[in-house]
Amino acid sequence: MTRSGEIQLQRVTKRFDPTVAVEGIDLTIPDGSYCCLLGPSGCGKTTILRMIAGHEEPTDGRIRIGRDDVTGLPPVRRGTAMMFQSYALFPHMTVVDNVAYNLRMRGVGKAERRRQARAMLARVHLDAFAERVPAQLSGGQQQRVALARALITNPRVLLLDEPLSALDEFLRLQMRGELKRLQRELGITFIHVTHTQLEAIALADLVVVMDQGRIEQAGSAHAIYNEPQSAYVARFMGGQNVLSGKVTTVADGQATLLSSEGDRFALPFQGTADFAGTLVHCAVRRDRIKLKKVAAAGRSGQVNALAGEVYAIEYQGSYVKVTLDVPGWPDFVANVPDDRFFAMPVDIGDAVLARWLAKDVRMLEADLGRASEAAGEIGLYKQELGLAQA
Amino acid sequence: MRQRSGRRPWTFYALAAFFTLFVLFLYGPMSAIYILSFQGPSGGLTFPMNGVSLNWFYALFEQQRTGDFAGSFGRSITLAICVLVLTVTISIMAGLAFRRRFFGAGLIFYLAIASLIMPGLLVSLGIGLMFQFLGIRPNWYTSALGAHLTWTLPFGLLIMFAVFSRFNRAYEEAARDLGASNWQILWTVVLPILFPGIIAVALFGFTLSYDEFPRTMVTVGPRNTLPLEIWVMTTNVTSPALFALGTVTTAVSFLVIALALGSIALIQRRRTRQIIREAGRAA
Repeated sequence: MTRSGEIQLQRVTKRFDPTVAVEGIDLTIPDGSYCCLLGPSGCGKTTILRMIAGHEEPTDGRIRIGRDDVTGLPPVRRGTAMMFQSYALFPHMTVVDNVAYNLRMRGVGKAERRRQARAMLARVHLDAFAERVPAQLSGGQQQRVALARALITNPRVLLLDEPLSALDEFLRLQMRGELKRLQRELGITFIHVTHTQLEAIALADLVVVMDQGRIEQAGSAHAIYNEPQSAYVARFMGGQNVLSGKVTTVADGQATLLSSEGDRFALPFQGTADFAGTLVHCAVRRDRIKLKKVAAAGRSGQVNALAGEVYAIEYQGSYVKVTLDVPGWPDFVANVPDDRFFAMPVDIGDAVLARWLAKDVRMLEADLGRASEAAGEIGLYKQELGLAQA
Repeated sequence: MRQRSGRRPWTFYALAAFFTLFVLFLYGPMSAIYILSFQGPSGGLTFPMNGVSLNWFYALFEQQRTGDFAGSFGRSITLAICVLVLTVTISIMAGLAFRRRFFGAGLIFYLAIASLIMPGLLVSLGIGLMFQFLGIRPNWYTSALGAHLTWTLPFGLLIMFAVFSRFNRAYEEAARDLGASNWQILWTVVLPILFPGIIAVALFGFTLSYDEFPRTMVTVGPRNTLPLEIWVMTTNVTSPALFALGTVTTAVSFLVIALALGSIALIQRRRTRQIIREAGRAA
C-alpha cells in the first residue's frame, strides 16, 4: 500500500434500486488536498464518501487510492478513516478506550494502546477527559474524540461526513479552523462532505459541487465562487444573479442578449455572429451591482440595467443585501457595501435602477444552448474556446 | 403548571383511587399469604395467628408430607435457566437476521407472533400428542422445554426488534472502519450496547418459564415443575405449608428481578466510579 492519498474515481455509478445515487462520476482528488463535496441533501455526496471508505460498493466503475485499486476491499485495508456524522462513539467505552479501539483490534497490548490513545487525545486537547464516557462530553468534545479515534489509524485519507453540522455556530467556526490546521499539519487528504457553501469555500482546496448524482463543477473555491459554469452552481453558491437571453448581436468580443422580458444584457463573448438566436445564461456578481433611486419602476430600456422595487433589506455587517422585485427576474439581489449604502440609503418599496458593467458578467458555459436548437454549433464553439473535454 | 398544587383536577383523585384499589388488590391477598406462612405449629389456614414460627417452611421440604417441593423447585429453576439461555441466544440471532429483509421474513415473523395468541393449553396438548405419536416419552427437559420456548421466543423477538430499531448502524460501521471483524463487532460493540435489552429478554425468558402452567400441563412428563406441583398441593395439602410455598416462590421471583436490575446498576456504578476517580485526579 502506497502512502499517497490521491483518490481517483473512474466512471463510478451507484444504484439503489430503483434510484441512481451516483451516476458515472470521474474525479481525481490530489494527494494531501482538502476536498469538499458540496451539494443539497440527496445529491449523492455522502454515497461517494461511503464508497471511498468501503462502506458501500459502487455498482459500476473503479476507485483508486494512491496507485492501489481499492474497489471491493474492506475499509480497514484502504488506508482511510471515516468520521461519522453522528460521531458513532461507542457509548459503553471510555474516551481512551474509544480512541484505542483500532489498536485493540490490531492486538496491541492494553498498556501500550492506552498510552498511544492518551498521546492522541493530548493532540486534540482532551487528555483530561480520557476516563469519561462519551455521554459526559459536549458536542465539540465528542467530535474531537471521533477525530482522535480516526487519526490513530494513521490514515492516508480522512473522510468526514458533515462533521460540523451538529455543532452550534460558534463551535462550528472554531472547529472549521481546527480541521484546516490539522489537515495542513498532517499533510494527508481530507474529504469533507457538507451542504454549507461557506464551509466548503473556507476550507477546500478543491470544491466539488454536486447535483442529482452528478458533478456540476469541480475546481478551486475561488473558481467555483467567481466562475461558475452553470446556472445551478451560480445559484447554489449564491453571490450571483443569473440572467439569460438570446444572442442578438456579436461584435468586438461582446454579445448582446435579449431576454424574453425585453431586457438587454451585454457580456464578453468570444464567438461569432453565427450564434445569433442562441440562448445564453450568464451570471453577474451581486456585489458588482450599483443601485440608483429613480422616480418610478418600469422597463429601463438600457443595456445591463434593471428597474424594480426594493423588496427586502438585510444588514450583513460589511454589506447590505438588497433584494429587488424585478418582473421576470425573481431573487435579484444587490450586495451594497455598507458605507455606500448608508451614504445613499434606499427603503423598502423604493423604485431603483440596478446597473452593472458588461465586464462583470460571465457566461455560464455549461448551460450554453440548453433549451436551444443550435446544438451542433455549440460543440464547435466549445472547441474554439478549448472547453471541449476529452 | 397552570393549576396550583392545592387545586388538582378531579381526574387526579379518580385515577389515584383506581391505583390504590389496584395496589390493594395486588398486594392485599398476597401479604395475607406471606404473613400466614409464619403461622405457629398449631395454627390453621386462617387468621388469627397462633404464634410465629418457621415450622411450615421446614414442612415444605419434607417430601412425604407435602409432595416433592424441593425436586420440582430444582426442576423449575433448571428449566427456566435453559429457557433463558436459549431465548436470549435465539432472539439475538433472530434480531440480527431480521434487520435485513430476507425471503419469507414476514411469514416467519407472523408465524412466531401467532403462538402468543394461541391458547397455551392447546399448544401443550398438541406437543404432548405429537410426542406420543412419535413414541417419545415427554419430559420436562424435552417436550416442556420446547413448549416453554413457544411462549418466550415471540416475546424475546419482539423485544429485540424494539432494541434493534433504536440501534444506530453507524456504530458497526465505525467499528468496521477501525478494523474490527464481524465477530469482533458483535462482541465488542453490538452486544455491549444492546446489553440492557438483552437483560430484559433474559428476565422475560426466566420468569415466563418459571411460572408457566398451561404449556407445561401435558408436556411435563412423569415429574412435575413447581407450578404443577403447587397445583397438586393445593388440592391435597391443607396446612399453612401451602402459604410457605407461596412465600418461597415469590421470594425467588423477586431475587431474579433484583439480580437483573442489580447487574445493570453495577455496570453503571462502575462507570460512575471511573468518573469519580478521574475527578479526584483532576482536583
